[in-house]
Amino acid sequence: MSLGDWFNERTGHRRALHVALEEPVLGGASFVYVMGSVLLFLLVLQATTGALLAFYYSPSATDAWGSVAYIEDQVTLGWFIRGLHHHGASAMVIAVGLHMLQVIVYGAYKRPREVTWWIGVMLLGLILAFALTGYLLPWDQTGYWATKVATGIAGETPVAGQEVQAALQGGNEYGNLTLTRFYALHVFVLPALTFGLVAAHVLLFRKHGATPRWGRSDAELARTAQPFWPDQLFRDIVAMVVAFVALVAWTVHTGGAGLDAPADPSSNFDARPEWYFRALFQMLKYFSGPMETVVALGAPVLAGGVLFALPFLDRGADRSPRRRLLALGIVLAGFAATGLLTFISFQADASDPALAEREAAAEKLAARARRLAKANGVPAAGGTAVYATAPFHRARVLWAQHCESCHEGDDRKGPLIGPGYNDRAWIRGMLTDPSGDAYFGRTKLAKSEEAMPAAEVTGAELDALVEMVYAETGASDVDAKLAARGVELFSEQPCGDCHERTGDASSSGPNLAGRGTVAYLKSFIGDTGQARFFGEKHEMPRMVEELGPDDLQRLAEWIVWLRTATPADVERLDD
Amino acid sequence: MADADDDEPSPDRRRFLKVATCALGGGVGVAVGAPAVSYLLHPVGRRTVTAAAEPIDAVAVADLGADPVRVPLRARALRDAWTAANDVPLGAAWVRRDEKGGVQALSSVCPHLGCAVAFNKPTGDFRCPCHDSSFAVSGEYRHGPAERGLDPLPLEVKDGRVLITWVRYRVGGSSREPA
Repeated sequence: MSLGDWFNERTGHRRALHVALEEPVLGGASFVYVMGSVLLFLLVLQATTGALLAFYYSPSATDAWGSVAYIEDQVTLGWFIRGLHHHGASAMVIAVGLHMLQVIVYGAYKRPREVTWWIGVMLLGLILAFALTGYLLPWDQTGYWATKVATGIAGETPVAGQEVQAALQGGNEYGNLTLTRFYALHVFVLPALTFGLVAAHVLLFRKHGATPRWGRSDAELARTAQPFWPDQLFRDIVAMVVAFVALVAWTVHTGGAGLDAPADPSSNFDARPEWYFRALFQMLKYFSGPMETVVALGAPVLAGGVLFALPFLDRGADRSPRRRLLALGIVLAGFAATGLLTFISFQADASDPALAEREAAAEKLAARARRLAKANGVPAAGGTAVYATAPFHRARVLWAQHCESCHEGDDRKGPLIGPGYNDRAWIRGMLTDPSGDAYFGRTKLAKSEEAMPAAEVTGAELDALVEMVYAETGASDVDAKLAARGVELFSEQPCGDCHERTGDASSSGPNLAGRGTVAYLKSFIGDTGQARFFGEKHEMPRMVEELGPDDLQRLAEWIVWLRTATPADVERLDD
Repeated sequence: MADADDDEPSPDRRRFLKVATCALGGGVGVAVGAPAVSYLLHPVGRRTVTAAAEPIDAVAVADLGADPVRVPLRARALRDAWTAANDVPLGAAWVRRDEKGGVQALSSVCPHLGCAVAFNKPTGDFRCPCHDSSFAVSGEYRHGPAERGLDPLPLEVKDGRVLITWVRYRVGGSSREPA
């Protein structure tokens, strides 16, 4: 007894395979029939890639974006698997369109296949539900805002809109419960329903067989019949390979699904749905008020209703398309209207340069968020917290809150602080024109008798004094000899009358020891009224209580960084 | 025009179709399967959870006696796949003053299969609550299924504080290797 016999005795697999594979295809195998198999293949591919994504995806408002960014940018071939899943959804919509077109042209929904058709229409609805629920899961800007629109439409359901919306999104606002809900629907509920309906669809298909081309006699069909295996299955497989190769090519070409910046409810974002919802999206622009609700909820219901009713609208026994012009016309009109609205929507976007600019900015932000996530991880607070991991993020926030108004721009009251602050050129300017506009010109001190006079040295002597002050910053490129010469000059010049340059001794002007180092700036920003700095002449508010040591440290480090930075360096921090 | 095969299928043609069908199907399977395997095995051989590699301030020497106390060791910064978190517990150490006046820190991870051992004051030894391995207060193996004593953790004493470096050792076996 062979192993096959042994197994067959226990499972009867040979007969099962025979029944499954060797049924005759009346009228012969044909490439016209392949779309159903292609859809089944794409469905299995979606299930496979979906399960693979679940190995890394985390459905929580704080983790979702980070986990998808991790899949995209760090997991081996993660971008490819996710790309297949994302574009696979589009491929399914295209394949469903072709499948339906074939079924409609062949009149395959007619008696006795009405139930097969209805189940197919339900499966179309399920595929769109998959797309809708899946779009939100990455918790990025696109998914968040587009799905907001979708649940907003649901919220306009007559009578119980609020309740419908709350049930869909899991409460009063988008959050963890929205994601867990959409995830459960996308990963458990919809697949279970789809599995059941696909099984029924395929079984009914097997019961009635493929619908042959119209106008051939039963005898002719029987005479030209071919077995499903291998004649039809070969054609199916060829079509599957074509679909798969196209999907892979598109995935590689696009670099995968892409991922927008983390969902940010405080941002502006041009929400756009997937291309197959564009017609509905465009239609909503033409209606407002109660009509909008009617259209948004009514159009899909109407389209579904027409498809459902098709076997009743087109009842004759003749399947020849020439005799079914009305039914074909209705469907064609539907396809054409959808196509036209879709075209108008894309056209409107393409001819809007302002939109292109905003989209470019959104892309830049997404790239920045992903780069930061890869380098620093996503803080436990969630996706948008990733921006806070950028260099000097906190310091710059503090700067904007506490410092900017007096040290930057036209309305400032204090010295200008920016790139190059405390470098040699800055010090030279300070020594030669201390009451200049960029320096103390806007302070009360500059207008008082206690204002610092300009240094009365030039040439090599000025260079030496500049180097002496520069040396205090602790910069690594100090010319020690020149600085030493500066120290000699310091005592010859009147500088020493107002400035100490060692320890923490106080004089009428600030002590220069360690001026421009982190430690000095930290103490200085905290309280410029300290005796070793400006004493009673200080004009800047005390910061030490408000900011605390950690934030003072961050600000001091930021200002030290500025010394060697160019404006381009500062700009690059925002890339 | 229907070719002659439609009426009288040749066995060769059918055999070709069968082989081609299986080959194409297998090809698609491999094209999905191979990337899937490398994708799934991504974490193997990678450090997916990493803490800042620095000694952790655990406890004051003055608070230690001859009986060990359980001290949680928290990482200042931790990377866990995509998440960056702060102040996250990594594990715990049993810390005490040893007989020579030095400080001893033992990982609370049982070297058998990784349960957390507890100090049993009445008997003066460590017990694993899972499979009943027991260890002397010094960490030395006494009995049970464990194959080595408790794992000591690297430590230094600085300004009266005990700084402990957390190491997760591989469980099982008699040799002590970082996991």
